[in-house]
Amino acid sequence: MKLTLSFTFLSLAIFSFIIPSHVSSSSLPSVSFVGIPPQDEDYFKDEVIKCKNGSKKFTKTQLNDDFCDCPDGTDEPGTSACPQGKFYCRNAGHSSSLLFSSRVNDGICDCCDGSDEYDGKVKCPNTCWEAGKAAREKLKKKIEMYHEGVALRKQEIEQAKQAIARDKAELLGLKNEKEVLEKVVKQLEEQIQKLKQRELLEKEDKIKEASNEKIENEKSGPEENVDGQIEPLKISDVEKMGLSGESPSDQSEKDENESTEGLSREELGRLIASRWTGKKTGDQVEEIDPAKSDHMGNRDKEESAYESSYDEHIDNNALQFNEKTQKHQEKGRKDARDAEDEESVAEDREKSSDIATLSHQSWLVKIQETAQNFLQSVNLFSAPVANLDANQVRKEYDNYTAKLSDIELRISSLTEKFKYDFGREKEFYLFYDRCFESKQDKYVYKVCPFKDAIQEEGSSETRLGNWEKFGNSYRMMMFSNGDGCWNGPDRSLKVTFICG
Amino acid sequence: MKMKHLKVSLIFLIFLASQTVHSWKKDEFRNCNQTPFCKRARSRKPGACTLIAHDVSISDGDLTAKLIPRAPHDQDQIKPLTLSLSAYQDGIMRLKIDEDPSLDPSKKRFQVPDVVIPEFETKKLWLQSASTEKINGDDGSLSSVVYLSDGYEAVLRHDPFEVYVRDKAGKRRVISLNSHGLFDFEQLRVKKGDEDWEERFRGHTDTRPYGPQSISFDVSFYGSDFVYGIPEHATSFALKPTRGPGVEESEPYRLFNLDVFEYVHDSPFGIYGSIPFMVSHGKSGKSSGFFWLNAAEMQIDVLANGWDAEDGILMPTKQGRIDTFWMSEAGIVDTFFFVGLGPKDVVKQYMSVTGLPAMPQLFATAYHQCRWNYRDEEDVENVDSKFDEHDIPYDVLWLDIDHTDGRRYFTWDKLLFPHPDEMQRKLAAKGRHMVTIVDPHIKRDNSFHLHKDATRRGYYVKDATGKDYDGWCWPGSSSYPDMLNPEIRSWWGEKFSYENYIGSTPSLYIWNDMNEPSVFNGPEVTMPRDALHLGGVEHRELHNAYGYYFHMATADGLVKRGDGEDRPFVLSRAFFAGSQRHGAVWTGDNSADWDHLRVSVPMILTLGLTGMSFSGADVGGYFGNPEPELLVRWYQLGAYYPFFRGHAHQDTRRREPWLFGERNRELMRDAIRVRYTLLPYFYTLFREANVSGVPVLRPLWMEFPFDEAAFSNDEAFMLGNSLLVQGVYSERAKHAFVYLPAKESWYDLRTGTAYTGGEIHKLEVSEESIPAFQRAGTIVPRKDRFRRSSTQMVLDPYTLVIALNNSQAAEGELYIDDGKSFDFMHGAYIHRRFVFSNGQLTSLNMASSSLGRSRFSSDCIVERIILLGYTPGPKSALVEPGNRKAEIELGPLRLGGRGGAAVTIRKPGVRVAEDWTIKIL
Repeated sequence: MKLTLSFTFLSLAIFSFIIPSHVSSSSLPSVSFVGIPPQDEDYFKDEVIKCKNGSKKFTKTQLNDDFCDCPDGTDEPGTSACPQGKFYCRNAGHSSSLLFSSRVNDGICDCCDGSDEYDGKVKCPNTCWEAGKAAREKLKKKIEMYHEGVALRKQEIEQAKQAIARDKAELLGLKNEKEVLEKVVKQLEEQIQKLKQRELLEKEDKIKEASNEKIENEKSGPEENVDGQIEPLKISDVEKMGLSGESPSDQSEKDENESTEGLSREELGRLIASRWTGKKTGDQVEEIDPAKSDHMGNRDKEESAYESSYDEHIDNNALQFNEKTQKHQEKGRKDARDAEDEESVAEDREKSSDIATLSHQSWLVKIQETAQNFLQSVNLFSAPVANLDANQVRKEYDNYTAKLSDIELRISSLTEKFKYDFGREKEFYLFYDRCFESKQDKYVYKVCPFKDAIQEEGSSETRLGNWEKFGNSYRMMMFSNGDGCWNGPDRSLKVTFICG
Repeated sequence: MKMKHLKVSLIFLIFLASQTVHSWKKDEFRNCNQTPFCKRARSRKPGACTLIAHDVSISDGDLTAKLIPRAPHDQDQIKPLTLSLSAYQDGIMRLKIDEDPSLDPSKKRFQVPDVVIPEFETKKLWLQSASTEKINGDDGSLSSVVYLSDGYEAVLRHDPFEVYVRDKAGKRRVISLNSHGLFDFEQLRVKKGDEDWEERFRGHTDTRPYGPQSISFDVSFYGSDFVYGIPEHATSFALKPTRGPGVEESEPYRLFNLDVFEYVHDSPFGIYGSIPFMVSHGKSGKSSGFFWLNAAEMQIDVLANGWDAEDGILMPTKQGRIDTFWMSEAGIVDTFFFVGLGPKDVVKQYMSVTGLPAMPQLFATAYHQCRWNYRDEEDVENVDSKFDEHDIPYDVLWLDIDHTDGRRYFTWDKLLFPHPDEMQRKLAAKGRHMVTIVDPHIKRDNSFHLHKDATRRGYYVKDATGKDYDGWCWPGSSSYPDMLNPEIRSWWGEKFSYENYIGSTPSLYIWNDMNEPSVFNGPEVTMPRDALHLGGVEHRELHNAYGYYFHMATADGLVKRGDGEDRPFVLSRAFFAGSQRHGAVWTGDNSADWDHLRVSVPMILTLGLTGMSFSGADVGGYFGNPEPELLVRWYQLGAYYPFFRGHAHQDTRRREPWLFGERNRELMRDAIRVRYTLLPYFYTLFREANVSGVPVLRPLWMEFPFDEAAFSNDEAFMLGNSLLVQGVYSERAKHAFVYLPAKESWYDLRTGTAYTGGEIHKLEVSEESIPAFQRAGTIVPRKDRFRRSSTQMVLDPYTLVIALNNSQAAEGELYIDDGKSFDFMHGAYIHRRFVFSNGQLTSLNMASSSLGRSRFSSDCIVERIILLGYTPGPKSALVEPGNRKAEIELGPLRLGGRGGAAVTIRKPGVRVAEDWTIKIL
């Protein structure tokens, strides 16, 4: 499934669109009124005029006399004399604009009507009509697109609502299941305890009859079995430790970096090059994209230009993230299952969840019944328990504990999921368990909302960060604490949503 | 996959850790003790030299002699050396000592070609005669004395052999060589039996087929308190002693061009460039200089006072002096003694040997924006437009190695830069330029035409066995063109033609990096010393000049590209004596910390003093991420560097000026704008350097040679003769202690406040600026309009800032030309002198009318004249010719609302190209 990332539904900027056909009704301004917006012309009518910041006064002859009198540039709207000045282009046929005074008579046509170049050194053709037309077309398309986006957003919110309801119902159901199963498991546990005691007694009887050694042998069997029943928990504990144990550094890497002697000429060349590149070896150097290393943190809007420049960059490249249908593995959780299994389990569950909500009540009852029946049947035996029965009890116990742990897992994953902030209208709910990919020359950026973001290059991948939160009123996804940059801080990523 | 991923991140961690502790891999570079010739030389005792001058005579206008051992039985082992001493105009003595070619040595020792300019030979004085004297204190020994200049004589003492320059009147010594008898000249000889000449270092073997051939000697500077020069080192401007009383174990100053990863900010170890030129200065206000034209590895000790206390050598004079000890691995003695008197004279004398600095194009003196790497055309367009969006001027956008197709220079990455010419044209439409990098390593790739061509022609440097030397650099396996060979330089130059360099346009200029040369898998990250150049010259003999020849070839190529009508711009990292003729240099891969900000000033001062007036340091620091405060301070200081470029390593965060919040953006924009307002002044200073060699950025003592307090001050510097600038080198500084020299007033550039000279001022500093002052008695031309780039400023009007001295007088200059072509060499320029006295400002022509066939004219006018130190009162001024009145009012010292106010003549409207007077009424 290849979906164009339609982050469309984000809080839509309300834009007022004024067709820039407005031409001042007053006659063409006099020379001294060059660069003044029509609505401002009255301000300059008097003989003595105040600088807008109140710092000074100037006479009408000083208006646009190519000498800067006001620190704020009030007196030179039409020349380059004041650094703070702003030049107004009328741009009839297109939208008007304000230029920095540095653009006035600099030999470069900035206003589409060419009014910023009036000293005769260059001739600027009036391109406003064409430009205006193009801009209007573009704007129209944009409006259409935004409309589409609003619709899409509504859709997603609707779907999210349903999904949430579904997930909540499932959670509720699962909790009931859990309760029931816990009871069953507890009963089975008691049963097993009883069995154990009974076996012990039987064995004691046998002791009296048989030799010591024999008893020892017999005894060890069932006990091992008992241990085996609690084993799954233990294994998972061990594996958890094992996984976290991967992090201690591999000492040999360090040694390699320190010594340059005894390397082949090529190895030496690569090693020395790697000091500059921060890459271990290889003749191609990885360009660290700005987005990875952004740490502007909580600075103001202006500062975030840093990341926005990157975003625009992506945008300009018309890069689109492709959604991977594949469920993203939850690396953080480190449960004992391997990734593929987890995926299939999750998928199965999702598929079955519709049915589950309808039918699980009856399913629960069934479980209860079968369990009860089974227990009762076991209980009926008053005579010494046959091996067969004991095994059956244990098997059932295993079966139900497994089910219970599945359910617990699902409950915790759902509970975990509900902890996230999915946006004002939970519009991002469906992003959970979804990933988006974007290819930028040699890199593939894989962004999994609420999880993490990765940059892949061939077979190597660099973690750009774990999910942190939404930023900028849900217009941005922030990932932090990625792999450390060479010679710098940890990587982080900000992904900005743009309607498109 | 997961495992691998974890490992990768671990490696990053390790790099970080090792970087913070010990980034500089000291062990990978040879110290003196690991360098046999240096170790041998340093262990020599004063008086060890037994050579005496024999057969002293005048021949071919030179004083010549043979140096032979005093004891006759040594004469069998030591062949005589030839000595020749020549005099040149303006007080320059040249001393050459070499093996006697008539005795048929096993190899001709290398003499560095194409460094001494041809014009220098025309300044040679033909010595007619030498007088023989018995000088006081020399028991029995004779000296031959020849004329050097009106005030000076050159003296060759015969036994023991010693050469010095003295002033005629007082017979006081200026500079001497071998006064401590440390002279040693290892002559080429035949290998004895099983003698092992090889040298090994960290797995590299130097075959040294010609064996030991080093030279060492002592040089003394008299009447001197400090010595300066011999770049490039990241250390103080006044050179600290490296041996003698009070000096802990220290290395000599090493001159060996090396690509040092993360160099440290205070060390005598050699980095990217070498200029074996030293200048001394002392209380007497006099300076002298010494230059050894030798491109082999050199080590120089500055000896602490009293180092020779136990040697029993009586120096013949009680003059204060500084002794130095010079050692080189190979080559000959080809030395130049410069008598001064003043510091500017010494610099001029040095330049008359090695040539004057090239006149840069105007755009090159403005702000440059660089980064490794602006990744593609969109990135370039984006950065470019952001400058406009924030109304920050800049002139040049730079592309580092990754713009190429796999680091094959002269090519473009087709995916990232599919339309290089269009991209350049877009920049050019805004008057902006582009610079691309071209390094000397050529990728050994048979499908790469440059490699094929160089291989076919046999143009590569050879290894010791005679095969094309194969080293490792950015592209992987690489070879290096033999730039010693003029034919190969010319071939290289052709590669810059528009036809050969596909995708280049006339607005594209060049950056030469890695030309030490840097070889990642070579000994000390450079080329093996036994690699072979043209005519069997060993790399060891010319190593320090390789980058110089490469720079030269590139600059010449650009001249050729523009049909000799377009001034080249080439920035080089490596340099040698004479590099000033070819373009700009910068201080290489510095780091984003306060210490590197601080050391940039002594480094640039040293470069300027030794000819490299067009130099700068990477603003912001190349490695690492500067805090916004450091970055702002760096921009504020960098705005006064002769070469002003922001640059950063690829793994640093983006740091263009608008990325740090509105306030910091404003501060950086302000700093950059300061540079742009001062461009007319800078350009005038570049012209001064181009004519006289006096650097743009100069030490205080160059302007105030008698002010002792200024001698070791390397926190502050003079920009021309009018501005004094001092950086702020620490975090959250509230105050700065600024020494203002001499008994003159100094006006704060921002507020106009006057400070008295001759004392240290404790000044409050704000985030807005670093301390900067205009010296009383000077006139500085500015352009107070901001544009996208310097190109659009050409027609803008001038502001003259007059800082009056106690007698209400001031003087200044303004130089203008087309900013681009060589027409200025034929008289197409405007050079004005402004003189203010008796309440009247006069503009005088300084251009010599006889000089040229070309003319340059300008319609630019003066829009504003600011008077500092003038008592307000007068209401108008009379402008002549025209008999017009101009109003006088109190106006801002800087436009834009911040800063102080000053008496301002409003719109005098006079044309800069013309003679006029403005009289205050």
